[in-house]
Amino acid sequence: MKNKNNKPLQVALYGMEERAYKTMSMYLKGPCKGVAIVVDEFAADVDLIDADHIKAKDLLEGRKAKSPSRPIIVLSLEEILLPDTIYVKKPVTTADLVAAFKQAAIMLNTAAKAKKVKGDREQQAPIKPDLNAIKNLDNSSPKSKKTESKRIDEEERKKTSKHRTAMDLTEVGFSNYLGNLDGINFSDSQQVLNASFNPKDFFLGYVQSALKAAKAKGRIAQLNSGWKPLIIFPYSKEIWLDADDKQLRAFAGLVIKKNENKGMSLTPVDQAAANCSKKMEGFYDVDNFLWKLAVWTSKGRYPDTIDIDSRVFLTHWPNFTRLVVTPHAMRIAALLVMGPRTAMSIASDLNIKPQYVFVFISAAHALGLVGQTKRQADEIIASPEVNRSKSKGLLGRILGRLRG
Amino acid sequence: MSQYKIIFTGPVGAGKTTAIDSISDVPPVKTDAAASDMTKSRKDSTTVAMDYGIMNLDDGEKIHLYGTPGQERFDFMWDILTVGGIGLVLLLDNTRADPFQDMQFFLDSFSDFISDTSVAIGVTQMDLSSKPSINDYHKQLKGMDLKPAVFSVDARVKNDVSLLVQALLFSLDPGLED
Repeated sequence: MKNKNNKPLQVALYGMEERAYKTMSMYLKGPCKGVAIVVDEFAADVDLIDADHIKAKDLLEGRKAKSPSRPIIVLSLEEILLPDTIYVKKPVTTADLVAAFKQAAIMLNTAAKAKKVKGDREQQAPIKPDLNAIKNLDNSSPKSKKTESKRIDEEERKKTSKHRTAMDLTEVGFSNYLGNLDGINFSDSQQVLNASFNPKDFFLGYVQSALKAAKAKGRIAQLNSGWKPLIIFPYSKEIWLDADDKQLRAFAGLVIKKNENKGMSLTPVDQAAANCSKKMEGFYDVDNFLWKLAVWTSKGRYPDTIDIDSRVFLTHWPNFTRLVVTPHAMRIAALLVMGPRTAMSIASDLNIKPQYVFVFISAAHALGLVGQTKRQADEIIASPEVNRSKSKGLLGRILGRLRG
Repeated sequence: MSQYKIIFTGPVGAGKTTAIDSISDVPPVKTDAAASDMTKSRKDSTTVAMDYGIMNLDDGEKIHLYGTPGQERFDFMWDILTVGGIGLVLLLDNTRADPFQDMQFFLDSFSDFISDTSVAIGVTQMDLSSKPSINDYHKQLKGMDLKPAVFSVDARVKNDVSLLVQALLFSLDPGLED
């Protein structure tokens, strides 16, 4: 049972030796039609334990202690009825296992809804930036800092992975992922050329400015926007924001007029950092956050700081294993590292819609990975030919296999 | 039927065996043995010959996944392994004393193969040691006039290894259809 976004559940396996582990991985992918994929325990939505393992009891207790809200599926020859677990009798059948994952998905959805209700209630409380905390940043005692640091380290692994891929989405799916954009008809080639946005008019621009200021001052800082406070940790290159993707996507698309942004401010903080450590799932790697924010700000447009008629270059490949991989992003990156090209020529060379190129350029630009050729000599040099492998068919089949 | 290979290389403990395990369709053939030399400080067992896995394609074609032995005393095998190779996946352990030196060593060792094909670099153990950063790797590579994909990789996570191999394929031909 895949979730609403057609993403399989992520499951961690316990009590299985290597061969059983591999067999279960392949069983989930094959007969169970990708109901779940096996991942490391820290990235999992669901735990699956072989209850006939000699240390099954310890494994079960350990998992309940570490991740109490995570659904647990237990496989056993004999019936085991434990609270908050889903039992599957051995020998495991495809139908039973799929049903167990379906039940786990329901449990996860129920928990997520409950959390959202709680979050909405918290959101209704007025935001009161702690202006007095500005100069208290370095006043905390070494002991309390150390204790806090240790606590944060212990909690560190609760930071959930937020680089889920978007590249498998269909065109409609990706449009939904980007969110609605009124006023531009992307079927009209002329309108496409004018489909730009000014990052400074959006949350993206304010976050970028705040990051720059926090980095320059070397202090933890809180960006107050009239929405949810966003905390910047310049040394660990992390951002904390108590918002899920849906909320962030909605806010990313809102135009913030300069004369209406009086609520926007940046304040150094320390107490807020201590408070937010309770919610590790709110942490984002800065690059991951900016990339995603830029994708949702772009919605298929390009930043107006880019001259659409000039060629762009990519300084290096984005770290795609830790970013949202948008459709065709890897192809675009591979093409751009070969040499500069205009956005429209990329779309033409790869035979893809310009929106995909614009989204990529917007995200890479937010991370400072994209620039434009300035020298006249650069403009004169022709863009290098696209490599066409003689083994194209074979490579394509490998690609298809990797993407399942 | 042709023998197509993807080669996984890198120093001891970088995750070559695990990475092959992550994307192989069959339980990989491992040739690990208890480490008895300097590698023991890095891991209890090490690959003494090579690791081998298979990716089965829809048309019955098989892609052979070879992991080179991490110990340099087996480097005589590397040239033999690369014959017919599609490309190189270089895994680097970020907790090693000098990962840049490792990178230089392996890129030099496989330079002919890389110039004929391509390379993608995965940096493992970044959760244990965040320095050098991915950007630091790119700066080093710039000095070597190379612009390969460099990703943070957890070799146990299939998606990470899959994306790295995909980057290798697109480096060979960006025109491949998504």
